Amino acid sequence: MEANKVDRKSRKFKDFETFDLKESTQYFLLPFRFHRVTAEKEIIVNEVGDYLILPNGTFEKIVKRQINKEIDAELYGDLIANFFISEQAIPPLIDVLATRYRTKKLFLNYFTGLHIFVISLRCEHTCHYCQVSRVTQNRDLYDMSIANIDKGIDIMFKSPNSHVTMEFQGGEALLAFDNIKYAVEKAEKIAIELGKGLTKVICTNLAIVTEEILEYCKEHKILISTSLDGPQYVHDKNRHKPHASSYELAVKGIELSRKILGHDQVSALMTTTKLSLDYPIEIVDEYFNLGFQGIFLRNISPYGFALRTDKSKYETDKFLTFYKKALDRILDYNFKGHYFTEDLARIFLTKILTPFNVGFVDLQSPAGLINGVIVFNYDGAVYATDESRMLAEQKDFTFKLGTLDDTYNDLFFGKKAQEISQIWANEGLTGCSECAFQQYCGADPVHNHATQGDMYGYRPTSDFCQKNMEIIRYLIELMESDVRIKKIFERWAKTATH
Amino acid sequence: MQFQNKIKDNEIIVFADTSLYSKDSIFKCLYWYGDKFHANLSFADSNTYRVSVKPISTTQLSSDELENLLLKLERDLVDFNLRDIVTKETQNVRDLLIAKAFSNGEFDELPPGEVSDPVGFNPNLS
Ligand code: SF4
Repeated sequence: MEANKVDRKSRKFKDFETFDLKESTQYFLLPFRFHRVTAEKEIIVNEVGDYLILPNGTFEKIVKRQINKEIDAELYGDLIANFFISEQAIPPLIDVLATRYRTKKLFLNYFTGLHIFVISLRCEHTCHYCQVSRVTQNRDLYDMSIANIDKGIDIMFKSPNSHVTMEFQGGEALLAFDNIKYAVEKAEKIAIELGKGLTKVICTNLAIVTEEILEYCKEHKILISTSLDGPQYVHDKNRHKPHASSYELAVKGIELSRKILGHDQVSALMTTTKLSLDYPIEIVDEYFNLGFQGIFLRNISPYGFALRTDKSKYETDKFLTFYKKALDRILDYNFKGHYFTEDLARIFLTKILTPFNVGFVDLQSPAGLINGVIVFNYDGAVYATDESRMLAEQKDFTFKLGTLDDTYNDLFFGKKAQEISQIWANEGLTGCSECAFQQYCGADPVHNHATQGDMYGYRPTSDFCQKNMEIIRYLIELMESDVRIKKIFERWAKTATH
Repeated sequence: MQFQNKIKDNEIIVFADTSLYSKDSIFKCLYWYGDKFHANLSFADSNTYRVSVKPISTTQLSSDELENLLLKLERDLVDFNLRDIVTKETQNVRDLLIAKAFSNGEFDELPPGEVSDPVGFNPNLS
């Protein structure tokens, strides 16, 4: 064979001029990664997230140059068309691939969008897993001051992002509604002056919501994000409110909010606790029956009280079992013709099935902290993420970037930000660097730090890794096993990008 | 000398030809065993790696479990070696791709300056 005669520069790369390109076995590999999906199937994923599902053993054949252009014509064509192999050392369409790559990382262009204002730490609930809130009337100590609100708004509008989101969190944000009004009106004015887009969101348990508050939200186009953990017996156990049912207040609040603001202006988030794990079907049904178009099956955060109380401890395996049962139920609704999504799946599927990425801070690389989100705490401290401020409540200030008195540059590009940036891309992390799901997954230094004691993280024991790897694998397995599911998933992914 | 993969005293031992398996790939493979096993890489002789994993806990694994583990390690070593081949062979194209993706057109032809060339493939020839 001709290639054997030449002086090879390496075991694998041969001088390409010596190749007879018509000879079917001579092709170049392009960057891609591999994972076993089931006992029979494996997946290969290229640098821009395109994938092929193949019978076991195919990856080995591809690498060993055993795919024959004539005999394996279909596979060969797929591999070429999807940028897994090339007949030239540098594929002629590399610029197309580069543009695709840029599209996947487009979120970097915008920089920080989500600005969380912890407007008050006060709350009237005493949820067992909540690590931050205080049941108190002391406004001076636990509400964000007007001066800090001003500084936060000032920093927010320094973001290069042409559309910023201002999200009010608590405690219970509505306890400081006067301050919210002040912040909204001030920010609206500046947004108009600067020609920037501004989205406003209030995160609230809705227990103290009134028509008056909602009328104001309507007038100022403020979205409501509330918490609903499932049916009453789950929600009320998770979210303890002295002398009242948190569930009843939440449901009543959702109805009222929808009536005044419009159905789609109200969203709900659930937190999975140990108790929730026994009720996957009931939780999904609750969301469906309340007229939501989907549910976000979130892992409980490992921070603060949640980490320290036995009540909230459970293993990732149990969460995955819960997740799969819940997803089955969701698919059942879809089989019956309803459009009802699971939002974690939707994030992954958008990355798997479309050329786009999703601006979801927990699943980005480089990570969403600073790049996508920043938190202004009630006391003027600035944190990289919502979880970072919860760590701070336990006196762990690892992710404190500074205070609202610091300059924009010091906060966003300072020493701390630079330190975190060393490990915020999964492309460069051990374990992730050769993981087939790298493009679909992300990096979460705060989670690594909170659960494993260092920002870099150790993938073999990481619950973040275990959860993401299995859910992605499972979604792919489902799509491969049932064409109806693939169609449903494609629809979810498509609507996520519109 | 002929080496035989084996299970001995609760330890899985696999041998790998140094001309076929890269050290990097073996370490990348063993990384994933570190949560439950003592993992070790050494030389059996100058042409052979000795790869071993031993459960961290004192609990004895059943012989079936050990047998499955041996199979898994053998398979993982092959998988990681293949991954390593792809990573190394494609490093230049990957660098070029990412440079192009984040450039403002300056990489639309060839990358200026020296491109790292660990496997002897010279992109400037294209
Ligand atoms: S965290 Fe795990 S699943 Fe995600 S990219 Fe890294 S190795 Fe893959």
